[in-house]
Amino acid sequence: MPYYTNILEPLIWVTDEMELEPWLATDWEATGETTWEFSIREGVTFHNGEELVADHVVWSFEQVLAEWSYAPGWLHIEPGNVTALDEYTVEFETMDPFPTFPGTIAHNMIAIQHPDRSRENFEPIGTGPYQVEEREESQYVRTSAFDDYWNGDVELEELTFNVIADPNTRALSLQNGDVDVAFEPPKSRVGSLRENDETNVTTNLSPGAVYVGCNIYKEPMDDAKLRQALNYATSQTDLVETILSGIGEPAKGPVAESIFWSGHENLPDYEQDMEEASRLVEESSYDGEALGFYLSNEQVDGELLAQALQQWYDEIGVNVEIQVVEEASFEDTVRAGDPHLVLESSGTNSGAADYLIYETFHSEGDVNERLYADEGTGIYNLGDEVDRFIEEGFQTGDQEEKERKYEQALQRIMEEAVVVPINYSEYIVATSSDVANMDLRPIPEMVRWTGLQNA
Amino acid sequence: MQEFVIRRAVTMVLVLIGVSILTFCLLFLTPGDPAETILRQQMGGRTPSAEAIEQFRESQGLNRPVPIQYVDWVSDVLQGNLRQSYYQETPVSRMILNRLPATLELAVAGMLVALAIALPTGIVSAVHKGEAPDYVSQFAALLGVSMPNFWLGYLLIIVFSLYLGLFPVSGVGSLDKLVLPAVTLGSGMAAIVTRLVRSSMLEVLEEEYIDTARSKGLKERIVVYKHALRNALIPVVTIVGLQFGYLLNGAVIVEIVFQRPGLGALLIDAIFARDYPVVQGLVLVIAVIFVVTNFLVDLTYRYIDPRISFEGENA
Repeated sequence: MPYYTNILEPLIWVTDEMELEPWLATDWEATGETTWEFSIREGVTFHNGEELVADHVVWSFEQVLAEWSYAPGWLHIEPGNVTALDEYTVEFETMDPFPTFPGTIAHNMIAIQHPDRSRENFEPIGTGPYQVEEREESQYVRTSAFDDYWNGDVELEELTFNVIADPNTRALSLQNGDVDVAFEPPKSRVGSLRENDETNVTTNLSPGAVYVGCNIYKEPMDDAKLRQALNYATSQTDLVETILSGIGEPAKGPVAESIFWSGHENLPDYEQDMEEASRLVEESSYDGEALGFYLSNEQVDGELLAQALQQWYDEIGVNVEIQVVEEASFEDTVRAGDPHLVLESSGTNSGAADYLIYETFHSEGDVNERLYADEGTGIYNLGDEVDRFIEEGFQTGDQEEKERKYEQALQRIMEEAVVVPINYSEYIVATSSDVANMDLRPIPEMVRWTGLQNA
Repeated sequence: MQEFVIRRAVTMVLVLIGVSILTFCLLFLTPGDPAETILRQQMGGRTPSAEAIEQFRESQGLNRPVPIQYVDWVSDVLQGNLRQSYYQETPVSRMILNRLPATLELAVAGMLVALAIALPTGIVSAVHKGEAPDYVSQFAALLGVSMPNFWLGYLLIIVFSLYLGLFPVSGVGSLDKLVLPAVTLGSGMAAIVTRLVRSSMLEVLEEEYIDTARSKGLKERIVVYKHALRNALIPVVTIVGLQFGYLLNGAVIVEIVFQRPGLGALLIDAIFARDYPVVQGLVLVIAVIFVVTNFLVDLTYRYIDPRISFEGENA
């Protein structure tokens, strides 16, 4: 549930355009190949009344590095490499040149806390507009407005975040007036929530995408013509309109449109064309065998999407068998190299989305390396030229250059049709007509509640 | 009596060992790596690096041979330590204790609802065998067993919360929040118990001592409620006792629909998340509740029907 960034805040925030915005840090710059200097905002008060200084930032990062075994690898910093240079300046030394460091820590999980906080009793001490009053595990967190908040006033004095795991129950709770805002109600209920005078529905594009990945190292998927045929047989618009109830945008690539370098506009267009698709199948090396199409049981709407695709592929003479695998064992199955096709969703909740393209489509990307490792390759990476574009995009600090390089990589990826894009994700928030000013952000975890009002 | 208790205690321990070994084996045979599943969830969906996975395995002892992991776990349990969840630094015992009240409350309330429906309906059905009340109750029982819990739950919410505004949709803490979940959970069980009460009653009513009672000129009401019911209840108590264990588990769906933080919801989450310590701890606790309930059921027999003996010699 997106509430913690309203209690604990990161150094850097992410704007509506998925760009970095100064938050608890006012400024940052690379001072060397592997060093970054951050200026900490002056005059920021913690919930306990103390002022935020560089030492608190150092302490918070050391906590993250110590508590999460994966944090050093993720942030590219080791314990001991965060130093306070003076009261308001912090230096980070990364393990290797890591140009996307600022974007990586623009993340809802990397927040600055006061050392007096208690994890055991859930007494977080942050700098956010709301502070925790009371919590009941798996039930609710009650928060109140923090009067000394550095970044303006809030409208509502008190906010309670309820845990309601079942999406149907969430929607019903909203309709019953038990709650004022329901995150992610089921898509099937969006229509009735819209029609109801007492409820409203808002949606926002998030930096996520759903696509079918082709295992290009398994016959007959190694034939680009067959992969292009699958792309021509797919109508993203129909899938979004029918199966996804209009939630989401038809995709042209594997990276969400809301990420500035996704190249959405300039990717090759595979508008649905069944004749062209059939022709390509004829020309390809496909000889009628069943292709294994794997998806996880937790992929929202996954089975319905797969069935729709299966029907279209059947029309062009391609036989697809759907295999639903339990979420926890999905990666293992994919890695074993069995599937011809896999339904994937990818996304980010930090400012740096670069890892999406690097880890998935670069030969040495972490995800890639471990996918189907038998061949020493990921299942949908093309190598060579694509690797070079990705490296150049990853290493540059220049946004335009990055956009150009990544776009070139994505163009090659789509020309070779190693994925069949489905949709860019949108998330849904249903509200009671009693509340106004629901301010959604691209990253759902970083939604702000400060402007929320009673209508 | 003493011998009976000792014998049962030994059996119970054996059962618990068996259950824990079986759960342990099944967990390790289930595909899906807990290290990867857990790290992925913690990292907000990103794939963890091979290094991080290795580190996690090592820190949790997951890279050791399975039998040794089991022995380690048992020795922890014997010292009263059910270990910590992989996800949060919370001891499993505390998680279970936090969740137990909500589940017990629901199971007991569900049971009361079931009995409140089943006893009168079953008796009326048996006494009026082949007549209209019998058909009505049998039909209702069939309906009851056929309705899936989640469906009934949503239906009750729509009718009683949305349209009639009588109860809140979800949550715990007050009695009004308990009514709909208890009815949802209890109605399925009521159906089973109604049929059992009916058949058990019919059987008893055929017995000679009932004829004797009737021939003594006792009122039919006394014959049915005083003489027949007591004996008819024996199989019912067995089923109710066993069902109580099932209610604890069967509460899963109800707990999810009505957002009650109970054991069932916790177990389901833990299984899908591959949170081994939570699954192991919970299965053990649920097994303990099961065997203890069974034991209590056997004890209850004696009080309902003194002809049943613990030693089994003077039956």
